[in-house]
Amino acid sequence: MIRHLPFLLALWKANLISAMEYRVSFLTQMVGMMLNNAFYFVFWIIFFDRFEQVQGWNLLDMFFLFGVVATGFGAGTYLFGNALRLSSLIAEGQLDYYLSLPRPVLLHALASRSNASSAGDFTYGLLSFAAAAVYSDSFSGLMLLRFLLASLAAVAVLISFLVLVQSLTFWIGNAPMLTQNAFNAIITFSLYPITLFDGTAKLLLFTLVPAAFIGALPAEFVRQFDLGQLAQICGGSAIFLSLAVFVFHRGLRRYESGNAIQVRT
Amino acid sequence: MPAVSVRNLRKTFQTKRKAAGLRGALAALFRPAFQTLDAVRGISFDMEEGELLGFIGPNGAGKSTTIKILTGILHPTSGEASVLGRVPWRQRQELAFQIGSVFGQRPQLWYHLPAIDTFYLFGKIYELDEADLRRRIALLAEAFEIEQLLETPVRKLSLGQRMRCEVAASLLHKPRILLLDEPSIGLDVVAKQRLRATIQRMNEIEGVGVLLTSHDAGDIEALCKRVIIINDGEIVYRDKVSTLRRRYLTVKHVDVRYNEQLSPDFSLPGVEMLKVGRFGAKMRFDARVTPVEPVIGALAAAGGLADVTVSEPTLEEVIGAIYARAEAENE
Repeated sequence: MIRHLPFLLALWKANLISAMEYRVSFLTQMVGMMLNNAFYFVFWIIFFDRFEQVQGWNLLDMFFLFGVVATGFGAGTYLFGNALRLSSLIAEGQLDYYLSLPRPVLLHALASRSNASSAGDFTYGLLSFAAAAVYSDSFSGLMLLRFLLASLAAVAVLISFLVLVQSLTFWIGNAPMLTQNAFNAIITFSLYPITLFDGTAKLLLFTLVPAAFIGALPAEFVRQFDLGQLAQICGGSAIFLSLAVFVFHRGLRRYESGNAIQVRT
Repeated sequence: MPAVSVRNLRKTFQTKRKAAGLRGALAALFRPAFQTLDAVRGISFDMEEGELLGFIGPNGAGKSTTIKILTGILHPTSGEASVLGRVPWRQRQELAFQIGSVFGQRPQLWYHLPAIDTFYLFGKIYELDEADLRRRIALLAEAFEIEQLLETPVRKLSLGQRMRCEVAASLLHKPRILLLDEPSIGLDVVAKQRLRATIQRMNEIEGVGVLLTSHDAGDIEALCKRVIIINDGEIVYRDKVSTLRRRYLTVKHVDVRYNEQLSPDFSLPGVEMLKVGRFGAKMRFDARVTPVEPVIGALAAAGGLADVTVSEPTLEEVIGAIYARAEAENE
């Protein structure tokens, strides 16, 4: 991975230069997404104004939760923007380009696009974390370190989940609805207090739709250090990452390329 | 040892079959039917290091599939292939450092960025030293006459300009073999000639081997010494281009227009009239039997020429002639 870092940095730089070609569009999308997230959070402010706690979770927990989820989601889909359209790349034969170059296909494909609106999510996440730290009056260097680790884990699990779902395209063909539903499910469930779920639902949030690894678990870890949670976060990320890489490469053997006229943007 | 060696290479695709209309869609939903498509049917060939080898055939013949297998993009269904001693689909990344590829329908330059930005990105992808990369870009920019184009966003380049930048990009890492899949697709005559000349020059200067696929026989005639013709997934011809030219590119088609009316029984000795109109005619002749010069002379003598076009047979006609000759020889 270290060997690929200069290449990844060059790729992200190219994405940024490309986005700068359309500065107004970039800034509009970024600010628009920040406002979108802020409006959504207002709902929780109103909610917790009436009910101070939901099975142990309060508004401060929601600030931490939104901080981790938005930062992880924003960073993940900004740096690996093609994670949102991998299914189309596979179905339309657009992996040819990455396969003809001497870099890992999945990494190259994912990092070859940046999502402008994700920069808004990322900024919003940082602001939300800053607000949570100030509001809780417990900010420290260690908390910042925990936040960094939690956000990285959220990126790893989110991108792995998106890769896993979209790798099904190798077997079942293009399935935009499945991708969209899976994406909506993981984002929606990651933004709810985990204490609302128990039993089978909770199990699903740690396995089939691993929203807990993106939201509640890392958010709780940021708030307070817990060795068990650290192990869960690291273990979960490693498992999902390995699974995604394995399934993608199994599917790649079935890749059928294509002859559609393409443009690299 | 040949630079490229292919033995009994075969690739089949499974495609879904669906009858037309809603009924067909519903039937396919509950009982999907598949058909097997043989894109490449057990082909074998070799290519020497530094060779300019033409690989031609009509659309859907299996050219691109073969190239994609040789670059490691596709896994073959069966058979063997070795490129520079490596099995492409097993040693893809290793091989990619040694070969370059250009797919006419699949640009590698970033659309919104100037080509120079993609060149620097490729420098990182191929792990090139910064100073070496700069020198290499300067050399290629001069060879391909793209110095003035490098800082223009790719979306603003013409197709010919873009294609020259594409081929230059594929040569940045000094590949030993260049796989060009329809590089001249959509280019006008001038742009085609310019591109061909530059590829030939790079072959002479750096000894880079070129495997060129095209559905335009003109590309192969201008560039390659040896040609392989593939049709319907099978090799139907392999020999020197000069032999192909002598045997099959002898029939010339002529379309002539005059400023004055022609007589309805207009004819020329040794020339088959396909269509005679009031102000022009279409005809063909075999240059082995009737030399070109007297035909053009006779056309000029027949009246005031407005326009005259001499063209060679299409690839489909060449393939038809190859089959006809093979059948005649078998009989």
